[in-house]
Amino acid sequence: MSYLHIGKNFTPPDIHGKVTGKARYAEDYSVDGMVYARLYTSPMPHARVVEIDADEALAMEGVFGILTAEDVYPTEAPAPTLLTNEPVYVGDPIFAIAAIDEKTAEDALKKVRVKLEPLPFSVDPVTSLKPDGPSARLEGNIYPREMRSLHWSAEDVERFVTGREPTGPAPSEWSYGDLEAGFDNAALILEESFVTTGYAHMSMEPRSVLSYWQNGRCHVHGSTQSQSFVVPFLARMLGIEQKDLVFVAEYCGGGFGSKISAYPVLAIPGYFSKKLGRPVMLRITREEEYYVGSARVGFQGWIKAGFTREGRVSAVDLYIVQDLGSQQAGGDASSAGGAISILYQPDAMRLRDVPVLTNTTPRGPQRGPGQNQIAAIFEPMMDKAARELGLDPVAIRRLNAPDSSATLNANQGPVTSAYMKEALDRGAELFGWSERIKKSGQRNGSKVTGIGVGQGYHSAGANGFDGLVRITPDGRIHLHSGVGNLGTYSYAATTRAAAEALKCNWENCIVHHGSTEENLPWSSYQAGSNTTFTHTRANYVAAEDAIRKMKLIAAQVLGGTPDQYDIADERVFDIGNAARSLTYGEVAAKAVELGGEFSGETWPEDIHEVTQRAVQGIAGTGLIGVAKDNLPVRGTVPGLTVGFIEIELDLETGKHEIVDFLAVAECGTVLHPLGLAGQLRGGAVWGFGMAGLERHVYDPQNGLPANVGYYQTRPPTYLDIPAHMEWSAVDIADPDNPVGSRGVGEPAMGSATAALMCALSDALGGHLFNRTPVTPDVVVNHVSGQGQSHGPLATNTF
Amino acid sequence: MSAYDVMPDMELFQPVTVEDAAALAERLGSRGWVLAGGQDTYGWLKDRAKHPKAMVDLSSIDVLNGIEETDGGGVKIGAMTTLREVSRDQLIRARYGLLAAAAARVASPQIRNQGTLGGNVSQDTRCWYYRRGLSCYRAGGNICYADSPEGMNREHAIFGASRCVAVSPSDTATALVALDATMVIQNTRGVHRVAAGDFFVGPAVNITRMTVLRPGDILTAIELPADWAHAEYYFEKVADRNVWDFALVSIAAAFRTENGTIRDARLVCGAVSCVPRRLTSVERAVIGKPRNDSTGEAVAALASEGARPLNYNHFKAPLMDNLVRRALRA
Amino acid sequence: MDIVEFREDVWGREVLLGVSWDLLWVVLTLSAVAIMVHIVVMTFLKSPPRPSAAGLHMERHAAVDRGFHWIMAVSVFVLLFTGVLPVVGVDFSWLTIHWVAGLILTAAVVFHTLRALFWQKPREMWVGADDFREPFDAGTKPGKYSLAQKGMHHAMTALVLLVIGTGLVLFAMIDTPWWNRSNALDESTLGWIFLLHGASTLGLIGLVALHVYFALRPEKRFYTRSMISGWISEDELRANHDPARWSPERSA
Repeated sequence: MSYLHIGKNFTPPDIHGKVTGKARYAEDYSVDGMVYARLYTSPMPHARVVEIDADEALAMEGVFGILTAEDVYPTEAPAPTLLTNEPVYVGDPIFAIAAIDEKTAEDALKKVRVKLEPLPFSVDPVTSLKPDGPSARLEGNIYPREMRSLHWSAEDVERFVTGREPTGPAPSEWSYGDLEAGFDNAALILEESFVTTGYAHMSMEPRSVLSYWQNGRCHVHGSTQSQSFVVPFLARMLGIEQKDLVFVAEYCGGGFGSKISAYPVLAIPGYFSKKLGRPVMLRITREEEYYVGSARVGFQGWIKAGFTREGRVSAVDLYIVQDLGSQQAGGDASSAGGAISILYQPDAMRLRDVPVLTNTTPRGPQRGPGQNQIAAIFEPMMDKAARELGLDPVAIRRLNAPDSSATLNANQGPVTSAYMKEALDRGAELFGWSERIKKSGQRNGSKVTGIGVGQGYHSAGANGFDGLVRITPDGRIHLHSGVGNLGTYSYAATTRAAAEALKCNWENCIVHHGSTEENLPWSSYQAGSNTTFTHTRANYVAAEDAIRKMKLIAAQVLGGTPDQYDIADERVFDIGNAARSLTYGEVAAKAVELGGEFSGETWPEDIHEVTQRAVQGIAGTGLIGVAKDNLPVRGTVPGLTVGFIEIELDLETGKHEIVDFLAVAECGTVLHPLGLAGQLRGGAVWGFGMAGLERHVYDPQNGLPANVGYYQTRPPTYLDIPAHMEWSAVDIADPDNPVGSRGVGEPAMGSATAALMCALSDALGGHLFNRTPVTPDVVVNHVSGQGQSHGPLATNTF
Repeated sequence: MSAYDVMPDMELFQPVTVEDAAALAERLGSRGWVLAGGQDTYGWLKDRAKHPKAMVDLSSIDVLNGIEETDGGGVKIGAMTTLREVSRDQLIRARYGLLAAAAARVASPQIRNQGTLGGNVSQDTRCWYYRRGLSCYRAGGNICYADSPEGMNREHAIFGASRCVAVSPSDTATALVALDATMVIQNTRGVHRVAAGDFFVGPAVNITRMTVLRPGDILTAIELPADWAHAEYYFEKVADRNVWDFALVSIAAAFRTENGTIRDARLVCGAVSCVPRRLTSVERAVIGKPRNDSTGEAVAALASEGARPLNYNHFKAPLMDNLVRRALRA
Repeated sequence: MDIVEFREDVWGREVLLGVSWDLLWVVLTLSAVAIMVHIVVMTFLKSPPRPSAAGLHMERHAAVDRGFHWIMAVSVFVLLFTGVLPVVGVDFSWLTIHWVAGLILTAAVVFHTLRALFWQKPREMWVGADDFREPFDAGTKPGKYSLAQKGMHHAMTALVLLVIGTGLVLFAMIDTPWWNRSNALDESTLGWIFLLHGASTLGLIGLVALHVYFALRPEKRFYTRSMISGWISEDELRANHDPARWSPERSA
């Protein structure tokens, strides 16, 4: 199918600001009378606040006030707190001080006398599960959607940490198929225990916030991945009605899952500003971002997988202890199980999950939450199976790969479409797999070549959100996007589905986004790789509504019936006589004149109240197209990727160099090639970081985090990644999306992580580390045969 | 406790002569802080983990800048010369490629543009507990948090620990010790010179300082002797990341060979102890042998002999041995 | 000037660090002043005729006890210098010397205690009611040890036991050839141990200064000689001791 806009590159409107530095992030805003707040964060991993004596601080010149837990929105454990009297991790904000400038605020913090009573704590889930293990919170140590306590027997703990089949009770479980039969049918059974790091999200822009009150409305300048989706949650956190919130988040310097919706820090300046009667700016330091900016859920687990002689995955038994950090989180384990269920289509499967709280930084969804951790572990197991069964790594994946008849998850539901075999074939061909694999294990001095292939999956689409377009009498097409600007350009790219439907020039389009004042429709969260699928649909239905209205107006003005009319070149014309036509501007002027649904004075009943307010805000300014996405969707929307990698691993230093990397996306029709390339390459960089570099270390004696700066956490740098990374896409349309597109952001990372893990294993003759990251020390220890320094299944130690 | 991020108030002095700087430093004593490129300094001060009352900024002292030849074929490098200049200077590259290579591996280009050679050798350790501002031994306290039964000490020392287990983070320090450089120190009592090998101080000798520099001392220059110019060199820094990282283990080696055999050698490892560690037993063992794989294989294990690993840094011993192999192979 | 120093513990709470080393100068000054006053007073006091060192040699200290004394003296000096010099800014590798000396001192003290209890006459060091007459009654002479000597011994005993006790605890807190340090003590207990170790060190410095001073005083020098050669003369015995309370044998 040939498109005007879909599959074409364009210049997203925020690019100029980013390149020239004119882009305004939350901390670039300044308003008259603004004062600065700084946080006092907990020095203890778990404590009770006994006393806060701020008299001396408050008496200082230039100090305006203090904000404590009593002043803000109360929450129930283990929900995140804005400020707390029971800090549950080192860095948990206890109170804030506002002053004329940040230096004075910091000087004042030093003068507050805080008395804390230490409480029991744990930084390792398994420590907490021991018979007398400490609980991360007073209410218990596990959170299977409710707080309670769980302790295993000493034998359960011993079995688990020594990698034997776990016997410890698991509060959550799902399964399908006949597991026993699956293993009975297996010619090969692999059993591995594993650990994956829960490392920080590390958003480059710390979550700084400015708030002030004007005419009874609270203005918040923040940094979020989503835009409209944040509004109801932030309003509730601030204790105000949605209409009284002005929320500006035009740019977001990275969120990666940590800024999906309203997070606690986003509401602190609002409360403080109200208390002080002054605008309040709260800049978050890099160190604080490591505390409050959240981290990935860590896994400690065990997998048993059965393979038939041909290489089909017959059964998978998965057991995961999740490190949820100190606040409510979870879902990663189930998502990990879901990923296995779709990528390998096992005949039977079981997932058992023990979600444990620890006194570490709060966790949240991070790019491929669950899917990417398990990709790092299970994909090397696929290679091990291939080795033992004498199969090629790509061939064994292809044998198990999902197609459009695939099923997934506990309910074995359908997918909208899937073409993983095609993705593997495309990648194998472009990468020259059959030749490349011959280099596996080749020595060049101290270096050895490793070849790897990895797959990634994430569900990539939702439905039921609203679209809003407007055509003004000047002929301009206004595309109102409630999608947040999380860095993928999807806020603009998805509006091109509307431009496509309206057959208009992109130059005549104006994308509105980034502020509630821009009258934006209700939108999904910008996470879960779902925006592309979800909002091309929403924009499409809004455009269809506009087209319907244009035809009605044309019929009214020019005569005949609406179905006599069509659109092209920004005109509505009579199909029988193209000369009988109206320009979009003329139609828009008529719409204003006609009022009613045409100009947004009325609206469909099923649209969200956020969209209703947006329509009210622009009513009477042009022709309004607004609709809720009620298009059919027949199943889970899969985002699939494959990564191919060649590395050289230096056995003497433990360092690897990525010689070549290729990513192949299976995400339906390509919506925005440059955006997709950015996702695939950016995802790969993340993946390389997870597999080989990024650390999350806690001192278990005192609960202190070791990684509170970039250089300590070690995200990949430009010399840790290949200079060039190739990409491709299968580009087969998904039937459930009007432009054929699906999302792909998250799996792009998982496949790269998996590919690198597989290549590291390949270079070492198939040795499985079963843990991320595989840092140089781990390789050196292995090669020198001296055993690893870390304890079995220990977490937060590397 | 909080994550401080703003420079606290302090006095700033910007002398234009070394004499004035030394006089100021002397007068301020432990209340003062000598500022070079600031790459180590500002972290400490903005985190409010160190609390000097005044800074003596050396950046306006012209004589501290630049690279010049000395009589007898050596080179003198002003302490305030940036790492970028050291890594790119033709004279250094031609005569002391080891130092140029080491300087080029420091941190990142941005940091090398700002950081100085004097600052690089005088910088404080990167032990994360200490950097957190905890009152450990090194900060004048009673305890080491890193060397404890559950301490997280992957980056810490395997040699020369004495209560404190921090390591020297400097990349250029190893090269300067290997090149047998001389550190020129000035204070109000005059100028004195210290061999690079004696410039660095371990915790057994002084647990709160990394070098012999005391309050009032200004490191003014680093002199490289002709003895080790134009030698055969090997430098390698193994770090988790290839940019902006500190060494897990590094090696700087200089060899003099004659008729295919090693006549003299100096090998120095970084990040294995609080001071750059001369591998004297390796040096002795390679004299008279050819510089090749089999020599490397024969002597490698001497490098880590006597190592005392902590909980998480066992890997440093084989890594040291491997780096010796590579130095002899290259 | 501070008496004790505080720091923040790992969680930011104020915690005892130990004694303030400002007190070192106080102790040294006080010791010097005390010695000076004593010198002045003694200069103006009319001193009795010095007894002769000639004549029979009477045994005061057995060789083994003299050996103990000097081993202890050397180890205490080594401990004091290795402990204090780094504090005043003299850099050297002191810790190993310090704990080796500490172990030698500990062994010496254990030996001395056992020997004194089971092979010697502990009563000779006992402070009885008679002893308190000595300073006021010129006619009352001591047994083997004068009240001042007993006082010095007991004060020294208390301080040495304290410094050894705390030192051994601190010894367990460092890596040694035999073990790696433990985390058995929390930071505030550790602070108390350092405080006691430091305070007993300061006490020892004062006491050692006085002890050395008296050992060098002309009228006491024969005691110092006896700690080297083992004997005092009959004349010295008669002039300073009550034969009824102490009648040593002739020296070999």
